[in-house]
Amino acid sequence: MTRLVEVPAQFDDRSFDQFAGAFAEANKDAERLLFDAHAAEWASPYGLVGLLAAGQAARRGGSAGAADRPLLTAPTNPEVLSYWTRAGFFREAAELFEIHGKVPRAKAAEHSDVLLPVTPVRAAEDVHAVVSKIQQRASAILASELGLDPKATMGFAMALSEACQNIVEHAGTGGWVAVQAYHWRRKLARRVVVIAVADAGVGFRHSLEPTQSKRFGDRWGDAAALEAALVQGVSRFRDPGRGQGLAGIRRYLVRWDGKIAIRSGTARIAIVPKWDEDVPLKDGLPPFPGAQVLIIIPEQGSTEP
Amino acid sequence: MIQYIDMHAVLQQSVSSLYTDLVTRPTGRVVRERIEQAIAGLGGAEGAGGAGGAGGPDGAGEMTIARIDFAGVGCIDYSCADEIVAKLLRDRPAVLVLSGISEGHREAIEPVLTGHGLAALIERADGTLDVLGAKGAAAALLDELVARRCAARRPGGTYALTLA
Repeated sequence: MTRLVEVPAQFDDRSFDQFAGAFAEANKDAERLLFDAHAAEWASPYGLVGLLAAGQAARRGGSAGAADRPLLTAPTNPEVLSYWTRAGFFREAAELFEIHGKVPRAKAAEHSDVLLPVTPVRAAEDVHAVVSKIQQRASAILASELGLDPKATMGFAMALSEACQNIVEHAGTGGWVAVQAYHWRRKLARRVVVIAVADAGVGFRHSLEPTQSKRFGDRWGDAAALEAALVQGVSRFRDPGRGQGLAGIRRYLVRWDGKIAIRSGTARIAIVPKWDEDVPLKDGLPPFPGAQVLIIIPEQGSTEP
Repeated sequence: MIQYIDMHAVLQQSVSSLYTDLVTRPTGRVVRERIEQAIAGLGGAEGAGGAGGAGGPDGAGEMTIARIDFAGVGCIDYSCADEIVAKLLRDRPAVLVLSGISEGHREAIEPVLTGHGLAALIERADGTLDVLGAKGAAAALLDELVARRCAARRPGGTYALTLA
């Protein structure tokens, strides 16, 4: 039997919990899953890497033979299909899903808004490649379109590097990163650059449990683990220099009025800038494996919502 | 004498000649180990020159001074800054003089050093020194270098190394 997981028509961080709920429900009896994206109208980089993480998790959990890949119906809207292709989604999805629907041949991301197509991150070498690529592609956009000081490009690369390293060091599996610039009409009516990173690994709670669970006692869970990592800068390693990465990302985002949100397990934590109405911490969300990181840097100037 | 380390050369030896960025902990670890070998006089780094340390005026207590040139290095992330700069200072009594440093490099290294209560020096293109890291540690570092006659105060109140 195949269980259906509907991909939201507008698939981004806001609709992700709806997707995670459908995924958790469909995945609980370990049947083969069908991710239905035929009606997708738009997906953010967060949605795309999140869908890959779901595919990765569903593949491992499949009961009808471990090698069985979940099914994916591709979007039918040609523009959506074209964007998903340009964003590098299908190149990665081909390994994870049995794809149904007509998928255009993969082309290099020519569109300048796709600063980094969906890219796998499995090892330190991949982080080097990502950082190298983003510096070539992003400098002009960050400076000319977002009004960031040219010096901020290096900080952007640092933030990206640290976000990717979370996968390499903590996930216990590979993940994906994507970076895109777009005009965010809904929220800011300005351009933003978005970094999305997702994996279907062990998640923050599992990663930090050996060193942190006692300290939190009854409060220990996904929300406490996220709080420990992002707010308190703790790491699963006892080395006193660890935990620099997320702290560094926070400093960078404070300086450029940016936002970070991390979802792991059943919780989501965010450092919320003035222009956003997100809540700092949400618990009791539908469970989703691994960790999903969203970083948003807005065009500089007034960021009143 | 001051040990000279060409960070870009060490990086290219350590990872790949394709990359110019100091990112990830594994990269930082390999780079640091090569620098440690060079500082210990083992010649581990192709980009290393010079050897030895600077004794105090009374001949007591060797101080290792390494001038690390960041020219040609693209980005350094926080993990690499911690793995290289902070650990070099944490694990041995050394003075690090960083040259060819950009604002971006500084942005990554400074908070890491401050977090550990450590300090390093920056040598500007004109030879004057600036401090980087925890205030107390930075002041003590400069005082010690002056006491050991490794650095001197210049007219105008700036400091510069006296050793080549």
